[in-house]
Amino acid sequence: MASIASQDERDVKVSDSRSPLPRIVRLVLLIAGDAAVVWFLMRLFSLGYFPLAAAIIIIMLGVNIIFLRQEAYPIRWMVVGLVLMALFTIYPIFFTVWVSFTNYGEGHLITKEQAVDQIERRTYLPETGKAYSWTAYRSPEGDYALWLQDAEGKGYLATPGEPLAQPQSGELGVGELDDQGVPQSIEGYQRLNAIVAATDSNLENIRFGEEGNTIQIRSPSEAAELVPLYAYDPDQDAMTNQETGATYSNIRGTFSAPDGSVIRPGFIETIQFSNFKEFFVSPALRGPLVRIIAWNFGFAFFSLLLNFGLGLLIAVMFNDPRFPFKRLIRTLLIIPYTVPALLTILIWRGMLNPELGVIDRALEGLIGWAPPWFTDPGWAKIAILLINLWLSYPYFMLICSGALQSVPEDLYSAAQVDGANGWQQFWKITMPLLLVAVGPLLVASFVFNFNNFNLIYIFNAGNPPMAGTPTPAGHTDILISYVYNLAFTASRGVDYGFAAAITLIIFLIVGAITLIQFRYTRMWEEVSENV
Amino acid sequence: MKKGTLFTTLLLALVISLALSACDGGATAPATEKPATEEPATEEPATEEPATEEPVATIRIWADDTRTPILLELADEFQAEYNVVLEVEDLGVVQDIRSQVIIANPAGEGPDIFVGVHDWLGGLVESGLVAPIDLGDKQGEFVESNLEAFTYTDGVLYGLPYASENLGFFYNTELVPEPPTTWDEVLEIGRTLQAEGSVEYAIAVSTGPGYNALPIQTAFGGYVFGVDDSGAWNPDDVGIDSPGMIEAVTWMTNAVDEGLMPDTFDYETAHSLFETGQIPFLMAGPWALDRIRASEVPYAVAPFFPDDGVPFLGVQGFMINAFSENTLLAQAFLTEFVATEDTMQQFYETGNRPSSLKSVLENTDDPDLKAMGEAGANAMPMPNIPEMGSVWSAWDNGITLAVTGEQSPEEAMSDAAQQVRDLIRGALAGMVNLPGDYQALVGCGADWDPACEATAMEEGEDGLFRLTIEVPAGEYEFKVALDGDWTVNYGSDGEQDGPNYPLSLDSDSTVTFIYDPETHLVEITIE
Repeated sequence: MASIASQDERDVKVSDSRSPLPRIVRLVLLIAGDAAVVWFLMRLFSLGYFPLAAAIIIIMLGVNIIFLRQEAYPIRWMVVGLVLMALFTIYPIFFTVWVSFTNYGEGHLITKEQAVDQIERRTYLPETGKAYSWTAYRSPEGDYALWLQDAEGKGYLATPGEPLAQPQSGELGVGELDDQGVPQSIEGYQRLNAIVAATDSNLENIRFGEEGNTIQIRSPSEAAELVPLYAYDPDQDAMTNQETGATYSNIRGTFSAPDGSVIRPGFIETIQFSNFKEFFVSPALRGPLVRIIAWNFGFAFFSLLLNFGLGLLIAVMFNDPRFPFKRLIRTLLIIPYTVPALLTILIWRGMLNPELGVIDRALEGLIGWAPPWFTDPGWAKIAILLINLWLSYPYFMLICSGALQSVPEDLYSAAQVDGANGWQQFWKITMPLLLVAVGPLLVASFVFNFNNFNLIYIFNAGNPPMAGTPTPAGHTDILISYVYNLAFTASRGVDYGFAAAITLIIFLIVGAITLIQFRYTRMWEEVSENV
Repeated sequence: MKKGTLFTTLLLALVISLALSACDGGATAPATEKPATEEPATEEPATEEPATEEPVATIRIWADDTRTPILLELADEFQAEYNVVLEVEDLGVVQDIRSQVIIANPAGEGPDIFVGVHDWLGGLVESGLVAPIDLGDKQGEFVESNLEAFTYTDGVLYGLPYASENLGFFYNTELVPEPPTTWDEVLEIGRTLQAEGSVEYAIAVSTGPGYNALPIQTAFGGYVFGVDDSGAWNPDDVGIDSPGMIEAVTWMTNAVDEGLMPDTFDYETAHSLFETGQIPFLMAGPWALDRIRASEVPYAVAPFFPDDGVPFLGVQGFMINAFSENTLLAQAFLTEFVATEDTMQQFYETGNRPSSLKSVLENTDDPDLKAMGEAGANAMPMPNIPEMGSVWSAWDNGITLAVTGEQSPEEAMSDAAQQVRDLIRGALAGMVNLPGDYQALVGCGADWDPACEATAMEEGEDGLFRLTIEVPAGEYEFKVALDGDWTVNYGSDGEQDGPNYPLSLDSDSTVTFIYDPETHLVEITIE
């Protein structure tokens, strides 16, 4: 679709020449594009991806309007970007919102249609029903006959629609029996082995024998007088067990009986605000949330402070023309930034290992003691801040170095004339002007660290554990890692609905912080305007 | 142009797309009868039969990197004999297959057969993603415990097992000539060696002390879940704070305090310590055999655990996608082609795991695997119920908190058990509800819903729970259920699973229910 849109763009240029040809070409391309989309939509509908299909319909209408309305002419140039943004940014957000109101997760992974279909296909063997082992025979026309043997080894011939026959060898075209008691041949049919028979995926659905007493193949070794176990009543939205008569009504995506028994599988169902409520109301899940949020803010704030502080310090030092070996040192200092963070974290994890780590070995050799980086809450937090410092200071060093170049030299000269010392110059000139440039980056860095799942999870998976909490939680867990544990590892399998709800909550928190901080950084912009 | 053009465009688009989908329909309709029409016959270099016939079906398998080549070897034979194409896709390690299956199967993109581990069953069965398997006569050829592992609580078999794995007790033969038979002896040997200065610790435990120290915990009588009368796992019987478990954790805490065990549970640390001869004992699984052998440390695997502790048994096997259109064929392929001595022997030789097929297992020639198999003869199949997911973090955290001295073993393990119980009960822990056949009339989606918000009771300051609602005239029945679930429920006699309360209303009334958590009885006031 994107490629067609871009072809259209090229045509737009020509269309200005008022010749009808480009317009026709454009129209043809648009129609072809629409046709492709409609075809794709039909596939989506048949697979049951309704939210995605709805999103694509909206996008397609938008694209058509943009290309056909003269007023929307300028937007044509952006159409590829807009389509991609709608598909890959806006649609996932809506999808997340939808998921957060459902029970989508393990136990509820399939749609209701799929679940009802699967449950309705379930069969059981009534008490009077008989089970047989089977051998299939096929006629050249594709009709099947089964040779059935019951537990005593008695043989029967079964064909669809006919009552079971119990022919001897020679009767009804039945050929000689082999040592298993199975006819070598049946007239008009060819004997099949189990695999050949099974290659026809319809075989399982064929009912052999007379009406009301049919026999179905259940597995490669068994055919039996099976009856459907469940019947679905769409009006009541309930399943009835044909064997026991029990009724199972749909309770939040699971067919449940009054005695508490349920029919598996469950299916996706909207459950209103339950996921959100679960997080806020349930004491079991709310648990150590306050402590986790406090550390989450502390981690993001101190990371920013330390990383920015060190980066700025080095940048200021390099800004001094008298500094020797500038290039070499600067290159060396940037190295941590060029190694993938994942590797760096793992290397630090190894170096801080209390038994084998270089750092701990060295410290123990020197002072006879090494901090318990993994088992003590305080030291674990310090270790995380240190690793984050190692990972991020080169970034701040780089951006501060750049920003410092943009501070006009004459301001310092003027300040010197006014008698300001170095300290005053730094706080009154360098800092305000620097913050104008790097302010938004500081906000971005804070937000990034607020959700810095990788560092927390790879270093120690949120450990060491907190004692006495209602849910498993660790001292270094931040919101996102704690919630990851709750939604994906500490519960009954994955719970996408719950995870989506929490994601939205975190999105709101981070969004609010960003908004406040951008307000704050705007203050600095005013400073720069006044300079 | 304007509106008229927009309309024409859409109309034309519709016509063209219909034409397109008609072509498409022509292409897929015969495909449902012969699902392999699109299959390129290039994969199959037509060995014996002249390739005039189209393949009659295709089986897609998702396997891991060890099993894929072996399965691919079967493909030629399978196609030559039955004209069925076998597509095997390599998805990397076994553990990565689960997340793919969860997404792909419901979307209709899943394979017919996939490789997995038995403890996925809880999630997969409850979500309707796997189909039952009937092994027929072959059933008897498999190791019982392996089949048991792939049998879910409903008594149905959902997988064809090919290999099992469990921890083994490794000892350094240079430091310790004979394996110790009790855990106290383990510490005693460690103590002596440590005093000599030849080792750092007696034993170290890998990441996840719950799993990796289970033989210690079971030796003292600890367990994770109890079993009910039918032998199925009982999620209401959590054994994390059982006396045996606490005793075992106390033993571990003492070992750490004495300096005979590190207080960090880390795979790398534990294995490095053993491989460099700094600990004489290690519990490790077959997955670590290669690295331990490469380290050239003199070792042997004991055919038992001290004090007859038992490890978890993990069983790998083949499962069938419930959405597969070829479930019968997939079963036939598995029982006829995979459940053979030849294939299973190859799985054993390349997989480094004891086989699930008795005849192959009997011929296990690797002494380490043999010893591990013997030590795991009574291994406990890892519970395959979804509730197991709620156990791991809490369990590991509890042990860590105890050995690091944050909490006493009793406190740590009872907190952990409480966490597990709360997670199992879910968000509704603490809810008191009155499910009955009046619920649909008072704002619940259905009757007999123990988690309906509209009929949840509120706790008063006096400790009694109250609910006041308007109920239309009629004859009703109800019960008390706790935690939004039927597991704990009380009848009109105040007993678990007792008879229903009757509620008879001549006219529409305001009914107040008062529940006393001491007596488990409900008092009804009708206005």
